[in-house]
Amino acid sequence: MKYFSKTSFKLKNQSWLVFVLWITSMIPVLASSHREAPLIANDPLADNTDLYAFRSPDNPNMITIIASYIPAELPYGGPNYYTFGENIRYEIHIDNDASKPGDEIVYRFEFKRVNEDPTTFFNIRLGKQNIKAVYTMSRSIDGGKTFSVVINEGPVPPNNIGPRSITSGVGLNTTYEALITGSIVNASTGEKVFCGPSDDPFYVDLGGIFDLGNSPRQDKKNRDGIAKYNVHTIAIQIPITTLLKAGVNAVPTSILDANFVIGVWASASRKSIRTLNAGGAAPTVSGDWVQVSRLGMPLTNEAVIPIKDKDYWNSITPYDDFTDTKMDEYFYNPELALYMDDAQFGGAVPSFSPLRIQRNSLQGFDFGNGKNGLFGLKGNPALAGTALDDAVFGTLLLPGAGKPRSVDLWPIFHTGVPNVRPYQLATGKNGNPLAAGKPFINNFLPNGGDMLRLNMSTPVTPRNDPKFSSLGIISAAVLGLTDPAYNTNTDIQAIPNMDGFPNGRRLEDDVTRIELQAVAGVALAAIGLWYDDYTAGGANPVTPKLLGVLTYSTGVEKNDKPFKSTFPYVASPWSGTEIQ
Amino acid sequence: MKKYFLVILALMVTLASYASSHREAPMIADDPLADNVDLYAFRSPGNMVTLIATYVPGQLPHGGPNYYSFGTNIRYEIHIDNNTKTKGDDLVYRFTFFRIDEDPSTFFNIRLGKQNLRMYYNMEKSDNGGRSFVTILASGSVAPPNIGARSISSPVGLNTTYQALMNKATRFAHTGERVFVGPSDDPFFVDLGGIFDLGDAPRQSGMSIDNLACKNVSTIAIQIPISYLLNNSAARTPSSILDPNYVIGVWASASRRKISTLSPGINKHSGEWVQVSRLGMPLTNEAVIPIGSKDYWNSITPYDEISDTLLDRYFYNPELSLYMDDSLFGGAVPAFSKLRIQRKSLGAFDFGNGKDGLFGLKGNPALAGTALDDAVFGTLLLPGPGKPRSVDLWPIFHTGVPNVIPYQLATGKNGNPLAAGKPFINNFLPNGGDMLRLNMAVPMTPRNSPEFSSMGLIAAAVSGLTDPKYNSNTNIEFIPNMDGFPNGRRLEDDVTRIELQAVAGVALAAIGLWYDDYVVGQSPVTPKLVNVLSYKTGVEANDADFKPSFPFVAMPWSGDGKCGGELVTPPAPLAVAGTSMLGLSARSVSSPKARFQAVNFPNPFRDQTQIQVEIEEAGQYSLQVFDVKGRQIQQLYNGNLNKGVHSYSWGNSGNVAAGQYFMRVTNQTDKTSQILKLNKI
Repeated sequence: MKYFSKTSFKLKNQSWLVFVLWITSMIPVLASSHREAPLIANDPLADNTDLYAFRSPDNPNMITIIASYIPAELPYGGPNYYTFGENIRYEIHIDNDASKPGDEIVYRFEFKRVNEDPTTFFNIRLGKQNIKAVYTMSRSIDGGKTFSVVINEGPVPPNNIGPRSITSGVGLNTTYEALITGSIVNASTGEKVFCGPSDDPFYVDLGGIFDLGNSPRQDKKNRDGIAKYNVHTIAIQIPITTLLKAGVNAVPTSILDANFVIGVWASASRKSIRTLNAGGAAPTVSGDWVQVSRLGMPLTNEAVIPIKDKDYWNSITPYDDFTDTKMDEYFYNPELALYMDDAQFGGAVPSFSPLRIQRNSLQGFDFGNGKNGLFGLKGNPALAGTALDDAVFGTLLLPGAGKPRSVDLWPIFHTGVPNVRPYQLATGKNGNPLAAGKPFINNFLPNGGDMLRLNMSTPVTPRNDPKFSSLGIISAAVLGLTDPAYNTNTDIQAIPNMDGFPNGRRLEDDVTRIELQAVAGVALAAIGLWYDDYTAGGANPVTPKLLGVLTYSTGVEKNDKPFKSTFPYVASPWSGTEIQ
Repeated sequence: MKKYFLVILALMVTLASYASSHREAPMIADDPLADNVDLYAFRSPGNMVTLIATYVPGQLPHGGPNYYSFGTNIRYEIHIDNNTKTKGDDLVYRFTFFRIDEDPSTFFNIRLGKQNLRMYYNMEKSDNGGRSFVTILASGSVAPPNIGARSISSPVGLNTTYQALMNKATRFAHTGERVFVGPSDDPFFVDLGGIFDLGDAPRQSGMSIDNLACKNVSTIAIQIPISYLLNNSAARTPSSILDPNYVIGVWASASRRKISTLSPGINKHSGEWVQVSRLGMPLTNEAVIPIGSKDYWNSITPYDEISDTLLDRYFYNPELSLYMDDSLFGGAVPAFSKLRIQRKSLGAFDFGNGKDGLFGLKGNPALAGTALDDAVFGTLLLPGPGKPRSVDLWPIFHTGVPNVIPYQLATGKNGNPLAAGKPFINNFLPNGGDMLRLNMAVPMTPRNSPEFSSMGLIAAAVSGLTDPKYNSNTNIEFIPNMDGFPNGRRLEDDVTRIELQAVAGVALAAIGLWYDDYVVGQSPVTPKLVNVLSYKTGVEANDADFKPSFPFVAMPWSGDGKCGGELVTPPAPLAVAGTSMLGLSARSVSSPKARFQAVNFPNPFRDQTQIQVEIEEAGQYSLQVFDVKGRQIQQLYNGNLNKGVHSYSWGNSGNVAAGQYFMRVTNQTDKTSQILKLNKI
């Protein structure tokens, strides 16, 4: 189905450098990947819940990658508080070169647990801790063929059980912040690493959204379903120079330098055979490692992949996505779009009523499920030189009829978005979406798999910038279209929040909202495929339908706890005694 | 003596602290589906006994998209022993589950009447101790998760009520047992955060918190006629309310296949079954067994405990009593300061860890004929020196308590604990293993009785010692709450409080081994006894009311209700402003706010329904009716509406088919809309 070859693609990709970006992102609904597939919901220790990748605000020469595991830990979950599991490989994978198959860099974390005082049922007593985890971090820079141990016996702080266990003389006699600080390891290879419990940085109204899309709730009482729960976090800060594709100059050629794109994904694997032993002895494990959880883009497996394929999705790699032909359909014609279309089930999900996809954009293009989207343009000379031209990217983006979202949702999840027409803002296009416009994204790494794709040359938006927005690239697009500081030319400019999701993912980014808006076609609108209530040639594309999509909110837009301004950025875990 | 005890009675109002067996051992904490959380056994109306086993701890009501349920490839079992002469179990109920996805094309759990991850169970019964099983209920339906109103009660969901779903999941087996399998509120209550922060219950600063409030569990409830549970030698009617032939021991377990083999997206299971979780008495593996032995404890059966020599020591000299003894670590746990065990009871007996308790009496003629006489129960209760709690904690967990001297209330003993006193318990089933032991002959205390108490048998003991209705003779009499923990376990029983008080020696005091500050000839109701009886964990009742009838557990919390996350304050609206070379007009967008409200009645309706739209801000409005496929059926109105109430009717055109319709009222100015559901019947 994907006819282009990676190598030929790379050559073409290098020849393109025009403007603009595209927008936003995509897809669906709720908790990024908590309990997202049946099998893994029953194996919480190996359940990858979220993945973040962003340039570090306090050290822009470093990229921070955060992978969280073990969903919805109760802070008071004693007496055997949660921690990383033994016999699990927790891995963070990085691809920086689409012309080479598979990963370039892999970080692997493996944990051991020890009981310092087996005579008590308490987790912490008199300076000793039970179920205390330590880890080994290994690194591969040859795509996983060989690994070198970089950190041995790395400390994992205990759970924040409560003041008696942490600060009092009968407990550890310290402070929780000191335990976190003391657990940050500077590796000899330049990485900074933290493994331990933290507040779950994600936020979402699980109860509303999974009650058949009731988000925002019709009674307006929105709830953050994962407020006050913890996860176990692996955070790693890596020099950009370590992550750069081989042979690339460390100084980017622009803020959208195509060579500065990385794809990041995380996984957990277990040995294929587990044998329970008598007498409560630990199980014996043997056999090959089998991937049981993976995560790249948020919510893919939660709200795009339907139930029958969720376990399968978890078991394959992004590189397998490339040859898989089953999953693409869920992006070409996403289930969520059914609920944003009055001709389908739009009426059945009142919460999504502001979200209505383009059925008649520019009075010619129908992006409803099963319709053709832009496919009618196939072969049209107007496509020449655009990303939709078969001569450029093959049939990647216009694979066939009846796949309307092959031009927006599919690439956002599978290739990233190139700075190539039509993926530039409508600014400067004078009404023709295929014309050159204002660049706003280039995270194109066309390996075909689900990953977070981050252009590391895009400048950091300070978290205290008045224009910092949890809407990520949607916010950058809105500014690029409407703010006089940016919308009077088609130059490449640093627009605030160009470093936001789906160009990587910052802790703050409201990915649920962004993806729902993307399903509703906001990315199409950003590049000039306006909503149905705009008449081609009309003066004002900022129509009520566009405003409906842009102002749509799930009502839960930020985390329950402020993030830290320094590594590891995630908030400290909730204490077992502070939760009502 | 009577009047002293009135003081105590007045203190008895309360109770409790943490989770019976949630995440109680390291290995099972990592396998929540097979984690047995709590077990209850109590008499229920109609000469029935209800057994309830809960699994899968700490479920968030909003834990979607793949909501919690039982696991496939797990054997969930409830075991009953009614006869110590026959080896092992006498009855076993086994539940195994299978799953069906009714609509594999969606990521929602419930949509348009179909449910994914829908669970069914087969229930089998063995009446020969587990050698062979007969299926007594095939393909029973498990109640779905209580996701929220849209999934459960709306027509785009299951179009029913959650109560109706619970009723539907309540069935009779071929053999007459009544069964419910499905999610429920977690009936347990405990301040997990406090108690496991080194015993901080009640909390020394701040309010105690029920950390299991708002959480669900997966529940198996069975109601069984008492006659099914009796051993062969039991009379059809009990010889007394403490008939020893009416004692059953109950325990629950979960087992998995020995070998699991993962391949991409698939997990296969093979090999023999291995027990991974068990539960009898609450809190045993949570707060008695130390971490080094917890996984082992989960792997063995109660019958293995007879020959086990590792675990008894944790009952003879429990860790918890270290924190109730000023010469040990008592000073380190201020929350337990009211709980102080007898170090010098009656001036002679030391029950501190490592001390001899009653062992000094070994061979003393005063023991003749008592339960402590080697000629009666062998060395069961006085196995050796340095095992002070062999006479109370160990039998409460391993054999139950016989109606034999000294295990009678101090009432009538005239100061000699080894004299005959007033009977208050007989749940003796001496197989040596950890079980809930229930004497089914003991009458029920009605839940609405003013004498009903969550302190269970401790309440009965206090009444038998202090209430003039009961303490003027040593006859066997029904005292309220004799049917409470540890004689079985009722949903209401505050087992955390009761067990902590028991560790502090309250059972010893009840039979006349008073606290250290008792002076012979004076009131045994000493400050130390009052302290123990008035100790509370600060969490004394469940967060939801139990139901008055089977399955008794409360309905599961719904995912879209108050337990479904933290309320958030409404965010500031997104502002979009600017002009442009595109000709984008400057325009700021404010948050849509309701400027109108629509209601309709009756609904459902047969002929027509009245629609009222109350307009708070005049403007352009449209009213459209759609069918369930989203097709517009009719535009009722499109135009200006002034402030005020506007009425319309719909459905009377004669050609509207029965079914579900949606009416949308839209404010054309700010594009806000409201949907009404119209049900024509």
